[in-house]
Amino acid sequence: MNSIFLSGSSLLLLISLAVQLLSVAVIWLIKNERKAFLAANTVLLGGMITGLASALLTALYPAPSGNIILYEWLRLDPLGLYFLSIIQLVAIPTIIYNYSYLRHHIDKKKSVKSFVTFFTTLLVSTQLLVTANHAIFFLVCWEIMSMAAYLGMIFEKEKKEVQQGSFYYVTVAHALIFILYIFFFILHEQTGSWLFSSYHLPFATETMGPVLFILALIAFGIKAGFMPFHFWLPRAHPIAPTPLSAFLSGVILKTGIYGLFRTFQFLCPVPEWCGWVVLAVSLFSAIFGVWYALAQHDIKRLLAYHSVENIGIIGIGIGLGFIGSANNLPVIMYIGFGGALLHTLNHAIFKTLLFIGSGIVYQNLGTRNIELMGGIVHRSRYLAIAFLIGSVAISGVPPLNGFISEFIIFTGFFATANELKNFYPIVMLMLVVGLAFVGGLAAACFTKVNAVMFLGSPRREIQKFNTNVFDYISLGILALLCIVIGFYPAPFVGMVNSVIGSSLVNGTASAILVDMNWMYISAIFTTIALAVFALYVLKIRHEKKYGKRVSDAWGCGYEHITPRMQYTASSFADELNTIPQSVLVYHKKVTVSDTAYPVESKFESHSDDFVDTKVLLPLFGLLKWLIAKFEFLGQTDIRYSVAFILITIIVYSLIAFLWV
Amino acid sequence: MENVLSILFCLSLFYLSVTSRVKAYVTVLRVQGIILTILLVIPFLSHFSVYGIIIPATMLIVKVIYIPRYINKVILDLDIKRRIEPTIQQMVFLALVIATIVIIFFASQLLSKSTPLNVIPFASGFSAIAIGIYIIMFRKKLIVHVCGFLVLENGIFLFGTSVAFELPMLIELGTLLDVFVVVFLMGIALNRISSTFEGFEVAHLGRLKD
Repeated sequence: MNSIFLSGSSLLLLISLAVQLLSVAVIWLIKNERKAFLAANTVLLGGMITGLASALLTALYPAPSGNIILYEWLRLDPLGLYFLSIIQLVAIPTIIYNYSYLRHHIDKKKSVKSFVTFFTTLLVSTQLLVTANHAIFFLVCWEIMSMAAYLGMIFEKEKKEVQQGSFYYVTVAHALIFILYIFFFILHEQTGSWLFSSYHLPFATETMGPVLFILALIAFGIKAGFMPFHFWLPRAHPIAPTPLSAFLSGVILKTGIYGLFRTFQFLCPVPEWCGWVVLAVSLFSAIFGVWYALAQHDIKRLLAYHSVENIGIIGIGIGLGFIGSANNLPVIMYIGFGGALLHTLNHAIFKTLLFIGSGIVYQNLGTRNIELMGGIVHRSRYLAIAFLIGSVAISGVPPLNGFISEFIIFTGFFATANELKNFYPIVMLMLVVGLAFVGGLAAACFTKVNAVMFLGSPRREIQKFNTNVFDYISLGILALLCIVIGFYPAPFVGMVNSVIGSSLVNGTASAILVDMNWMYISAIFTTIALAVFALYVLKIRHEKKYGKRVSDAWGCGYEHITPRMQYTASSFADELNTIPQSVLVYHKKVTVSDTAYPVESKFESHSDDFVDTKVLLPLFGLLKWLIAKFEFLGQTDIRYSVAFILITIIVYSLIAFLWV
Repeated sequence: MENVLSILFCLSLFYLSVTSRVKAYVTVLRVQGIILTILLVIPFLSHFSVYGIIIPATMLIVKVIYIPRYINKVILDLDIKRRIEPTIQQMVFLALVIATIVIIFFASQLLSKSTPLNVIPFASGFSAIAIGIYIIMFRKKLIVHVCGFLVLENGIFLFGTSVAFELPMLIELGTLLDVFVVVFLMGIALNRISSTFEGFEVAHLGRLKD
């Protein structure tokens, strides 16, 4: 179909993208930095809200003749639409937070024009990426997205760690896109088409199937941050400016997940080993992601490792779906993919919330080290509440959204064990234990974060703690979404169900997801919430009646406590981190006085990334050593260079002659 | 006709390998330019087209008139010594050139059995490429390197005409532009270097490394 078909809502989507791009023009046309930024950000926000509205409209009223937006290379199928809505949903609070974050930088006389430009480019290219139906267009969007993220990341380029981390990121992004090129070229070779909609290569009949699958798993796995390929996340996320790191972790990683879903669409039905590979990689990512997170002191680095964990949880859902696909069981596919898709949405929401929260703290305290924080709850109560909501959600604790998606995945384990007897129940039981363990560690980690950052008394003097209304609006939107999805999951599950039904599973539709009695869950949660509220009211009344006693945190009956007496993050996590010491590359240094005279006692702990320090750095060290061996070739004299060219020509000619 | 011209071209290569005057190099470049122009014009004698004459015309202007004059001007302006300063003996160089040309002619003969090509122009073009590289390898002066590069470029042209299929016009024009720019840049570089260094030997350029 080569005609332009524009339904009302898809036209609206194109307009919204154009409006978003308009903000770039606005910021460069207006002279005054502050006015330019305010105007541009408002335009961007308007464009994004329009975009979300159009996406929701398209979802509610699907176009009658398919969902092509423009020619054949821009298309909205339900899967793309779902990811598009996630991007827009998360982008809106991030843009609102920009008002507060960038104003802070404008006050410090720092130009934000280029950052806004790159941020807008990033947003637009990511939205185009999930609507792309043409492989080359997809790759172009992918490249623009990666590069815009890089250029935005070097916002504070005068810092050494920013230079190093962003270079690390850009190197990984380039390595990744080469793999993607190969992936799509093979697809083109096999089908003779560039269009996603015409890629149908059933795995069983295709000799290139395993190659394609492995390439996709590596390329999209790097982007998503699955465990052996996660190494760029903890380097890139801490150094990025807060709005960007929120968007990176919340959305850009999800493009990897999107890619995996697309790969499944191209190759389905996949054989069972694919499912096992994805499951193994994901479980590994989930467990060690959260374990690494527990050992971190840098709040953004910690959150980056939590992204690895959550991507692992999403991956477990995808793996289950693959197993369902291999055994031709739509029920398992629905549950597995449903859990994965819903967790994608949930993770985007609460991770953005947590990143924005930590960004506000970083901006005020000037440090990302949680050991130097403390007592923030006394400075900004709402920030602490919002952060707590995010923490509860990410740990998968019942009343909030993280629980819903993890619950679906847990259901998937039991469904798989039930449907496929044989050895499956044992494996599924192990997976249940694994995922439960991940949840426990996540809860431990966020107990640590909340306790050390927000509770207690400040470990370092807090000069001032400024928050403004934009911070609270963006945090509020995200926290509200966490609560809404947690308490009233039925419409969201229904949405996910329809996405799976129309894009991922062919044939018989199954209502297993929708039939899970979500209303009971809503009812139970509402009851719990009401009970908590009742207890709170009771507490207030009792306080009024009997008075309230206030004392120092962690007081424990001591007379003169100092902030140094508080429980620290390192000592909290030490017990757990000592278990996989070699994998976490966990060092600790304890200085204790065992003499009669008191010597200063110290405890330090530190964790490096295994892949980073034990695999990549030695590898590149080896490469450097190898290259140094050929240094004599780097002659400055042109005559030697020409001689080498001649030798190369002769060698090639000889080979050609012998070959002919 | 083509073969005769190609052999003439090849002979000019021999002259290049024995002469030791920079001036002679420029003359040979001019001669080679004329030979190539004639080679390009020949097909148009039978069926003339205005469009196709663009390349020979450009060739004539760039290779026969402009570049040699420019090189001569650079030589005069910068007062470069007239000797080429080889790094090996001229006789050894000649032996090397002869050996190379013989090998290339034999190889082309072999190759022509499997692929349709004109042996003599093909081998001459190939030889010019090789000898261009030799000139760059075994001469010290930068201006001679430019000449060597131009010989190489001429070889590529001859090579192109000898292969059965035709190169698109755009590519040929592109090559011409390429040569033009390179010579121009070399001239500028020489002018700059002359104000920094005494001689014009590439060995000195090593010091420009960052």
